Amino acid sequence: MAGPSTTTPSTGGVLESLSNDLAGAVDRAGQSVVAIHARRRIPASGIHWRPGIIVAAHHTIQREEDITVSLADGTTAAATLAGRDPTTDLAVLKVDDAKVPVASLGDGAGIRVGALVLALGRPGSAVTASLGVISTVGGEWRTWHGGSIDRFVRLDISIYDGFSGGPLVDAAGRVLGVNTSGLSRGAALAIPVSTVNRVVDQLVKSGRVARGYLGLGMQTVRLPAPLVERLSLPNDVGLMVVSAEPGGPGDTAGILIGDVLIALADRPVADPTEVLSLLGGDQIGKTLATRIIRAGESKTVSITIGERPREPRAARRGR
Amino acid sequence: MIDTPVEPLGEALAELASTLRRSVVEVRTRGAGAGSGIIWSANGLIVTNAHVARTEHATVVLWDGRTFDGVVTAHDSRRDLATIAIDPGSTALTTAAIGHPTDLRTGDLVVALGHPWGITGAIALGIVHVVETRRGAPRWIRADIRLAPGNSGGPLADARGRVVGVNTLIAGGLGVAVPTTTVSRFLDDEARRARSGYRAA
Repeated sequence: MAGPSTTTPSTGGVLESLSNDLAGAVDRAGQSVVAIHARRRIPASGIHWRPGIIVAAHHTIQREEDITVSLADGTTAAATLAGRDPTTDLAVLKVDDAKVPVASLGDGAGIRVGALVLALGRPGSAVTASLGVISTVGGEWRTWHGGSIDRFVRLDISIYDGFSGGPLVDAAGRVLGVNTSGLSRGAALAIPVSTVNRVVDQLVKSGRVARGYLGLGMQTVRLPAPLVERLSLPNDVGLMVVSAEPGGPGDTAGILIGDVLIALADRPVADPTEVLSLLGGDQIGKTLATRIIRAGESKTVSITIGERPREPRAARRGR
Repeated sequence: MIDTPVEPLGEALAELASTLRRSVVEVRTRGAGAGSGIIWSANGLIVTNAHVARTEHATVVLWDGRTFDGVVTAHDSRRDLATIAIDPGSTALTTAAIGHPTDLRTGDLVVALGHPWGITGAIALGIVHVVETRRGAPRWIRADIRLAPGNSGGPLADARGRVVGVNTLIAGGLGVAVPTTTVSRFLDDEARRARSGYRAA
């Protein structure tokens, strides 16, 4: 080897151009990422979604009053909680005079398996970023709290403080969704823009997302073959009622613990999530003809769908 | 929009790694495990973490396997930085190109090179998570990158292969590096101390 040398930095290469693209995307999208002070210790992230409207992860909003947000321009604004939807882990805050840009929302075409993505956050004064890929994309799914989400978007990305409530961003700085680790045992998921828009509309309008409600706890049970045959049941499984909220719609309609639900409005039910899918907000007040088995006999009971009461805050998990 | 083709990206990364690793050394001390170090000057000045160079002497192994006895010449546990001097004799050392931590932006690509778990010359790719500043100057570079013990004292480099930090610890899953601006201050302080004849004992 000839004489001493210094490692020669490469210039104008693909790595440098990728680096510039990523930093540029962070810079653009980061303008609409805010820090939300609504819990102890580390602030949570939020997104300036529409003028004066901040979207956040429900599980990170741990107090309902005395909330402030820090904006990208270094200013701090008071915020009021417009509403929260534990079932989709989303919350909406309102601020006056937010002089930072609103997020540039993608149309969903960018949600593809393998897409290079950034997760942004602002768990303090500075914007933070992590790099990863979209690892799974699926169809509409229902969260364990009964919320409906248009697409299942799982990420291969590291979760750090400020992840939940921050935007999932493509390499052009467009927002693909809202990140949360609170919907699936701490796994990194994104809630797509279309779902966020729907929930924001409802929360801004009424402060909550209305859900139908029967007030019944149910569990799938296998039915004995002779019974299935004798009553010509559509399935060899049904849903046994294991709890009934006193005064709830099911209780009021005369449903007893131990009854087995077979069909609602002529639709056989074999899994509690199938019941949830029949209880959208627009079903409140409607009557469901419910086929049950009680003491070995088939019976039909009319249940009037109620509105799910505001529930206590969902389990807080994730960052 | 990113239209960077994948194959040239891999080639560029391989080239960056093979260049950078010539200026990265393995630092072995008695009792402690192995760490990494950065060749700062051609006369044999190695920069590493104070927690890597805890003893008076250290063995320094170059990328090509050549081995030197080193003397720990400065040790600053507050900044977690240390220097080791080796006598390269007629051996030509490749020094690291030093970059500008003040120019780093959140989202910039970064590369770490070192000896995680004793694996020689391993590379890791990530991005700048945030540069933590104090009075406007970079204080810590936090990177979304997978580091392990053995990366300590090794370089965090930018997309051009210029060293911007010394990988020092892992906190909350993030790699945390001391910016090279702090290394420069540390070396200046040591030089001043040497001129004034001050010697800690």
